[in-house]
Amino acid sequence: MNSPALPDLLTRLVLGETSPVRGLRQARAKITDATEGSYQALFAADLPGSLTLQERLLVAEYASQLTPQPELAAHYLERLQGFTAPEDSPRLKAILDFTRTLVLAPVEGDRQALTALLDAGLDTVDVVTLGQLIAFISYQVRLASGLKALEQLQ
Amino acid sequence: MSEPLDIQGFTNRSLGWKSWLPTLDLAQANPEQVAVLEESHPQAKVSEYYLTLIHQPEVLRQRSLAFNAIMYAPGGLSRAERELASAVVSRVNQCVFCASVHAQRFEQLAKRNDVIAQVFSDPQTAGTTSRERAIVRFAIDLTLAPGEVGAGALRVLREEGLGDGEILDLVHAIAIFAWANRLMLNLGEPVWGA
Repeated sequence: MNSPALPDLLTRLVLGETSPVRGLRQARAKITDATEGSYQALFAADLPGSLTLQERLLVAEYASQLTPQPELAAHYLERLQGFTAPEDSPRLKAILDFTRTLVLAPVEGDRQALTALLDAGLDTVDVVTLGQLIAFISYQVRLASGLKALEQLQ
Repeated sequence: MSEPLDIQGFTNRSLGWKSWLPTLDLAQANPEQVAVLEESHPQAKVSEYYLTLIHQPEVLRQRSLAFNAIMYAPGGLSRAERELASAVVSRVNQCVFCASVHAQRFEQLAKRNDVIAQVFSDPQTAGTTSRERAIVRFAIDLTLAPGEVGAGALRVLREEGLGDGEILDLVHAIAIFAWANRLMLNLGEPVWGA
């Protein structure tokens, strides 16, 4: 059954209804689709591994705040509204410490930083997920900023 | 390679990369994982990088679709200028491995490495033409201060002759290296003399 396709997340967040930038992105549809596909995959309810959806959204919200990219920060904050506030734990602290390092000073995300995650109980698949997630948000916030600037230029 | 560059710890030599995490044993890969590896890169099945990322196959599939479309799609910004932007971002983020790969790609496409030598020695002033300097400056600014980039930064690119489609291509090439550099920097390390 087909339903009318909703525009991708970044279009909804930063582009106007009749923005010419929408057409520029359609001309690069493979990129727009894979950007949206990455977002959907990283926040899928059934993603393999032990990183919960709430943990992934907390990482995304924190990373967007640190950048800062206000539209994405607000989006991830809104998605967190359905969850009860997380308890402080060594696991969450390790996850958010790693997030801060990768967002602000990626070269400092060394082997020791990765070991801290494994010591906090994350498995290999979770470390891969977390690395991909923070790296994807680093891409997403820059694309959002670039699209907003292009929009202002029109 | 016309001449080896070794500047400030960066190089255009071929480096290896080893993972800090256990890689997937290809013999244990399921059909989905094999398919994603084959879609991702011609050498993915023997690369520790891809054999690490394949632990989360759907995320790797989408990343590879984005990466390959951004770097190789025809039309728009020249592939050499996309590679220049990638090399600049990798230099600024201090990803020695990524910088070496994209220095080589730039050189293969542009048949010169003068601007790469400048990027390695001082990215802030690099560029052999005003157009290159504008591309390099924008790559640095969107990498280091994405929250501060606005229409003014893009006007400089327009004045250098970039159309809006080319500007979007440039934004994509810079942004995807915010992603790629972090994976390469945070999941393993370069190996010299590979």
